[in-house]
Amino acid sequence: MQPRQRLVDIFSTFVQFEADDFKRWIVDARLKRSMGSCLETSDRGASDQFWALYWHKVWETQQHPLATAHITAYLQEVCYWVARKMSLNLTMRQSRADLFQTAIARIDTVLKRFNPQLSSNLKSYAEFAFGNIIKDTLRKNQEADICTDWALLNKASQKRVIDALTHGGLEARLIATYVLAWKCFKELYSGTEVRNTRKLVKPEPATWQAIAQLYTTERLSQLGPNSPAASPEIVEQWLVTTAKAIRAFLYPSPMSMDQPLAADDSASLGDRLPGAGEDSLLTELVIQEETEQRRTQMQQISDVLSGAIAQLDADTQYLLASYYSENLTQQQIAQALNIQQYTVSRRLSSTRKALLKQLAQWSQTTLHIPMTPDVLSSMSTIIDEWLSAHYRTTESSSG
Amino acid sequence: MMSHNAASSHLLNLEHLLLEIPESAYALPSHAYSTSGALRRAHLNQMALESFLPWVRAEQDQPARLARQSATWPSIWEFVNGTALTVGAQRLVLVPSEAIDGDELRVAQEWVDLPNWVADYYVAVYVNPDEGYVQVQGYTTHRQLKERGTYDAGDRAYTLSTDDLIPDLNVLWVAQDLGLQTVPQATVAPLAPLPLEQAQALIERLGNPAVVFPRQAVPFPLWGALLAHDGWRKRLYEQRQGMVEQWSLAQWLRAGISGMAAEFGWAKPQLQLATGLGTRSAEVGVCRMLEIEGQAYTLKIGPSPESTGLETPVWRFELAPVDGTQQIPVGMKLRLLTEDLQTFDNNEDGAIAPVATLYVDVMAAPGEGIVWAVEPTPEAYEPEVLRF
Repeated sequence: MQPRQRLVDIFSTFVQFEADDFKRWIVDARLKRSMGSCLETSDRGASDQFWALYWHKVWETQQHPLATAHITAYLQEVCYWVARKMSLNLTMRQSRADLFQTAIARIDTVLKRFNPQLSSNLKSYAEFAFGNIIKDTLRKNQEADICTDWALLNKASQKRVIDALTHGGLEARLIATYVLAWKCFKELYSGTEVRNTRKLVKPEPATWQAIAQLYTTERLSQLGPNSPAASPEIVEQWLVTTAKAIRAFLYPSPMSMDQPLAADDSASLGDRLPGAGEDSLLTELVIQEETEQRRTQMQQISDVLSGAIAQLDADTQYLLASYYSENLTQQQIAQALNIQQYTVSRRLSSTRKALLKQLAQWSQTTLHIPMTPDVLSSMSTIIDEWLSAHYRTTESSSG
Repeated sequence: MMSHNAASSHLLNLEHLLLEIPESAYALPSHAYSTSGALRRAHLNQMALESFLPWVRAEQDQPARLARQSATWPSIWEFVNGTALTVGAQRLVLVPSEAIDGDELRVAQEWVDLPNWVADYYVAVYVNPDEGYVQVQGYTTHRQLKERGTYDAGDRAYTLSTDDLIPDLNVLWVAQDLGLQTVPQATVAPLAPLPLEQAQALIERLGNPAVVFPRQAVPFPLWGALLAHDGWRKRLYEQRQGMVEQWSLAQWLRAGISGMAAEFGWAKPQLQLATGLGTRSAEVGVCRMLEIEGQAYTLKIGPSPESTGLETPVWRFELAPVDGTQQIPVGMKLRLLTEDLQTFDNNEDGAIAPVATLYVDVMAAPGEGIVWAVEPTPEAYEPEVLRF
């Protein structure tokens, strides 16, 4: 894969896969125009990092879809390398392209948690965040795969059920019907198994009878007088469809690479292009200054964390190193330290709490940042990101 | 215990607190529930609670316990998901879920809009019984739920996307440690109390387990007021399980303390054995222990000495320190209320000087309900409707 060099390309091109590998970069014309015009109106030789922060600020303040798209383009390489690394490390049936898709689809989550006030740079943060997203999604998919349809229906949130049915193309009125049937199913058939809940079997006919009856009673008040009654067979059909929809939603078909953006009215978007005008120049100035400040700040934070870790006992340092370099499982770490498996997570949690408190107290006195739970939350993310990067570097430098 | 089929456990993101479900939590709930879903709900809450509470006690340097006595939780879990804890000065509601996707935090409206139920923080807990662990997904504040959450009228719940939660529970503890001034609770409007006749009608109707979703059967102001009255909620729960009246004083005296009442601490008084002198005084009545400001007291209910010869029985409610050498402190009051929490004439006895006992005599028609209360409030107190 040839890394992109020109700023305009970095913010307007996307990876195209072929045979699960990088084939080439595709250009999105709209993004190219938008970025081009930004570069014209700005008369400074800004770095890609600067522009990333710029688009993040636009995303934050205006929620402009172009901003999301520019950042998505910017993060293509990072996402690609994370997907590639994970597909090498973990044996799974998902392709590299699938993993890439899984991660890049959650770009909004990544942006939400990125705090430019405290974080080093978006690429570094995204690398960490994409990795976690992929791991999480894989774990959830594996869990779902083990479940029977009936167990899966009991182990889905209402939000997921609605999103899955919507994604499956069902119209809103029908979705309400299916959701009510699903609620009735869950209330009357949660299973009696305590430990083997994933293998829940299909309900007996008498239970289907009861579920259909409950649905038919409830639908008048919940859905209105025109809502359909349902026989046990129909209710079963609805629930099977719902389970299928949930599974299909777990493995969404890859977005077409040629249309990375939703079909927007490009004319109206063009009118509101951010990056043109004096306001944006001021924003640029502010961002430029902040970037310098941030670099210094990040170095200071790094020093504080390095110092804090050096003072931890040997076992805890080992625990951090093994977990954050992603080499060992919880089980393996526990074995090495001769502790119970669940102690690994508890110790990790208390260590992270101690680091968070230390960093927070340091920043209160040194950086004079007003401390709020939101700022603390950002710091918690930074600590995880830093630990991840720190032990990756340590591992590769010692390798 | 770890399942052998721990295929996905190496993918666990350990930055989210992961706790083992203790073996004891796998025991099926000992109480009855009217649906399979309610039983499941109770069990998930039991697993979440038994995993989380010991950890808080061990790791956070503050007293932590259930916000209400353990005997009352079945009457809550029958209807809503969630378990309230107090940790130091904070109230937390654990919201367990089996949902693999972990897309949302869904909190029943009761925990957000009922004045005595609201908490400071709501913690999303993913429960995986098969693999044997629970995992904290994140938490949010009452204010966030109220202001940023989406209200689902069909479910009577406030929801927040998991992306909008604070992912690290440590933030909660560190914020406390640093003494950050936060106001996690938004204001909650008081709920209009329910008139007795209306409550009775609702219990009659919603106490029928054929009404599978009682929460959605009536408007929330009515439902909320019914559920928030601890005595009525217990009655509603008991009726849905097909239990006979559990709080009848006459029944207790005739046939012994009911199962439910015994769980709340009611018992027959100990026989007093006079040493060596041969006489025994058999006490007729029932009693329970109370802890008030660190001291132990007994609340006794029995036929009043004033009632001999009268047609309508007179009952005496009597409060005394367990330690016979102690006295009722100044300012303590024993108070009786009607079933719908109204006062009536001569309903209370207070100590203006230290005194041996406080007592209130009350004459009540059969079937009438009475609620006792003490000022200062006893530990873990919640109103009980005792029926004559």
